[in-house]
Amino acid sequence: MGSDAASDRELVARVAAGDRAAVRLLFMRHHTRVYRFVARQTGSESMADDIANEVFLELWRQAPRFEARSEVSTWLLGIARFKALSHFRKRKEEWLDDDRAAAVPDSADNPEVTAMKEDKGAALKRMIEALPEEHGTVIDLAYYHGKSVSEIAEILSIPEATVKTRMFYARKKLGEALKAAGYDRGWP
Amino acid sequence: MSESDPKMSRRDEMEALLPFYLNGTLGGENLAAVEAWLAEDPAAAAALEEAEAELFGSSAANEAIRPPADALGRFSKMLDREAGPARETATGSRLAALWSRVAGLPSGLAWATAAAAIALVLLQAAVNIGGRGDGYEIAGSEDDLKAMPFALVVFKPDARMADIADFLDANDAVIAGGPTAAGVFRIGIPARTVADYDRVLGLISAAPFAQSVTAGKKPADGG
Repeated sequence: MGSDAASDRELVARVAAGDRAAVRLLFMRHHTRVYRFVARQTGSESMADDIANEVFLELWRQAPRFEARSEVSTWLLGIARFKALSHFRKRKEEWLDDDRAAAVPDSADNPEVTAMKEDKGAALKRMIEALPEEHGTVIDLAYYHGKSVSEIAEILSIPEATVKTRMFYARKKLGEALKAAGYDRGWP
Repeated sequence: MSESDPKMSRRDEMEALLPFYLNGTLGGENLAAVEAWLAEDPAAAAALEEAEAELFGSSAANEAIRPPADALGRFSKMLDREAGPARETATGSRLAALWSRVAGLPSGLAWATAAAAIALVLLQAAVNIGGRGDGYEIAGSEDDLKAMPFALVVFKPDARMADIADFLDANDAVIAGGPTAAGVFRIGIPARTVADYDRVLGLISAAPFAQSVTAGKKPADGG
């Protein structure tokens, strides 16, 4: 998402001048990642669909206020984060209980059985999907969205030190989950 | 160790920084520290492997999520209902004109076709700055396009507009026609020899944005 930063900014400038086609172009360029970002946070693809549309409508409305200090993708993810929080804050508990619990390993399986069921890559994917939202988000923003510590801090409106700490705990949880599932992991 | 006031060991800090080392965003002291750790601690290589596995896991978790194919069409309708400045730029008008060209396609095709077509218009807009008239055309004159060797290409649904535009630009190729109802574009390849044509065709086939490529009319040199 970062490789086209200059042209993204040019497009935002065109959006600010009232160019609707430029919004569509930015939508094509960034919608998939915004959609996935929201879906991963909320656990709801229908909510992701609504919120992603709102993000790009917000881009249309707020483009004149965009400050080019950030990459456009970082700005869009920040808007998405805010809107997702607004949407699911009141439903957070049910979201955690219903959707993510389904991804937690079945305790009836011992590590050997679990290991036989899936390879490590598939297990890790499932465990990342099962991380608590605040940990899964930093994992995704770093690994999938390629964001830096400072960009994640901007998107989540948290200090950079907290980004690092959440990353530490996220990776530690993954290590513990892998170990519980019978995989070796070089974690202290 | 609280989340607001962490007191992490050096190993913990390095583990927390590894994802940013992998995604290439680390710099300065942090980068130097991770590189030093990787060089001096035998356990660091294993930790890096774990981070790489997490990277693939995160990618897999995200890529398993597929946005609706008709997202752009629905968003466009919402956008059209929004108030905004009445005047659009010249390029915007051309984009809007081409947008109407692909808007009626089946939703599953709209992503790829719109991306490619609008990329073309951006290139065209850049050319027009050099002194062409105000008339809108896809690329070249009709006669030129009809005579030009071509290939038939379908772009992947997640093809990046910028990648297609860069490729066309680098190879002097143009979108000579399309899309058809099935999303097929005719890519004009201004090759003088069959060897040149085959070379570009091979590049298109190998490009990450191409879903299918079918050879069409080749240059008439027989070679």
